[in-house]
Amino acid sequence: MSMVRLKARYLLCEIGVSEPASLQLLDERAVYTAVKAAVCRAHGDYGAALSSISFAVKYVNAHTGVVFLRCRKRYYRLIWSALAFITSLDSRGKKIPCFFNCLHVGGTIRTCQKFLIRYNTEQLHRMLPRCRNEAERLEVQKAVRSCSLKCTRREEEEEDEWDEDK
Amino acid sequence: MRQADQRQEPAAYERLVYKNASEYHYMKISLIFEKEGKRLEAAFFKQLIISALRDLYGEVGAAFPFDVLKFDEASLTAILRVYSSGLVKLWSALTLLGSYHNESCAVRVTQVSPFLLALSGNSRELVLN
Repeated sequence: MSMVRLKARYLLCEIGVSEPASLQLLDERAVYTAVKAAVCRAHGDYGAALSSISFAVKYVNAHTGVVFLRCRKRYYRLIWSALAFITSLDSRGKKIPCFFNCLHVGGTIRTCQKFLIRYNTEQLHRMLPRCRNEAERLEVQKAVRSCSLKCTRREEEEEDEWDEDK
Repeated sequence: MRQADQRQEPAAYERLVYKNASEYHYMKISLIFEKEGKRLEAAFFKQLIISALRDLYGEVGAAFPFDVLKFDEASLTAILRVYSSGLVKLWSALTLLGSYHNESCAVRVTQVSPFLLALSGNSRELVLN
């Protein structure tokens, strides 16, 4: 009896909007429907059915616009390619023009979080030379020093290797 | 008996094995409408197949190149050519084609072959004298 593990891929995406204020309206439902509609348009009935097998929006951050999407390992490319065709999100009746930028594809949420922390520290490092006064500089340095990954038991169990076999 | 006569060169030959002999596949299909006596132009026919591909496989699927080599307006039969990698997609889209502008229709696939010459003869219609 072999242990068959259902492997997933987590797509770490960043939503870019023209006005930062409209990011506050971001919610999981809007992202879910937008991604599903884009996959349906790009890959038809076949793609929509395959990609929605265990598709879920795992995490949405309204302040930074970071989104975690989860899907089956075999079909993540359908969603990945359809992300480029999303032009707007429909949230609570309002249409927000936006674009999806995929930063990382990982095997577990934990690896995606590790990447996100590295990415954010790099962004902060890039912001440091552009600080206009000393107070801002101190703020950025404090933020860089406090970047860390809080360990929780649930994430320990989801440990998986990112293997490139497809 | 001299040594030179006995020593023979090993026979050299080269064997080429093709997994797929042709990069194209050719399909002979016929379009059947519920209403008798319907005529269609070749451009509309191609548009019909593209819309079937778009329904099932989306914009990416509809963009896959295929050619209508021959189209007979009276009998509504056609010969299609498609790259071998897209044969399954095209065939499945033709199978699930249900309607054209609110008229029921169906596609019957008569022959599929990687070689165009094979479509010229059909053992079903063979007449032996």
